[in-house]
Amino acid sequence: MSLGAIVVGLYWGLVIAPPDAYQGEVQRIMYLHLPSILTAYLSYFLVFIGSCMYLWKREKRDDILAHSAAEIGVLFTALTIIEGSIWGRPTWGVWWTWDARLTLTAILLLIYTGYLMLRSLIEDENRAASAAAVLGIIGFLDIPLIHMSVYWWRTLHQPPSILQPNKAPWENIAWPLLIPLLINIVAFLLLLFYLLSLRYRLGEIRDEIRMRRLEQSA
Amino acid sequence: MEHWSFVALAYGIVWSVIVVYFFFLKRRYRKAQMELSALTSAQTLEEHEQT
Repeated sequence: MSLGAIVVGLYWGLVIAPPDAYQGEVQRIMYLHLPSILTAYLSYFLVFIGSCMYLWKREKRDDILAHSAAEIGVLFTALTIIEGSIWGRPTWGVWWTWDARLTLTAILLLIYTGYLMLRSLIEDENRAASAAAVLGIIGFLDIPLIHMSVYWWRTLHQPPSILQPNKAPWENIAWPLLIPLLINIVAFLLLLFYLLSLRYRLGEIRDEIRMRRLEQSA
Repeated sequence: MEHWSFVALAYGIVWSVIVVYFFFLKRRYRKAQMELSALTSAQTLEEHEQT
């Protein structure tokens, strides 16, 4: 289902959708950029939920969920920055600028890369999970900052094009551009759940191996 | 045809990275599964020998 949605999204975004009146063909990168960052945000929300639940109940499955979602979140945040950079070169004239939203997104990537590194640096599994859970919760606070940055500071990054207060999405963007965007958002979210289920099962197997090793050594 | 090269670069990088990650994840999953089944069979053998 995910693969089907991806193929339809690619075809619609690259072939059917018309070029933007101002940006031309380069606007097609937005069919990747917005779905990527939404996928990353949802992943970090799952890290936040998993981390809170782990600190509260100390159940391994919550830690596995947080760890799995963090890995996928890092992947999609890195992709968002790359896509934005490629879009920025012909549109803004630069690959990168220290704009508030871009900088906060780079910080988000650094926080969750640190989250993954922290887990591999601490040998004690339970201590690593607790420390990572605290970082996972703190890191999530960067997301509202990223969202509000375009309102709070004077940024080169434009304010939200679709989700604007007091306006429906179809009032801000023409249907021929909105449809491929929505299809790609659905495709990326399906891809997230597929990758997450695979990564979660991997986490479960690794935990089972760890438990069996402990049993053996006891 | 303006800026198609940027579009191709973005789509090429994104989908290549996702495909590489997918196969990397599959490989790690298969490896872990093999490790678990080897561990399980070793434990079963050990228990069998003890009885």
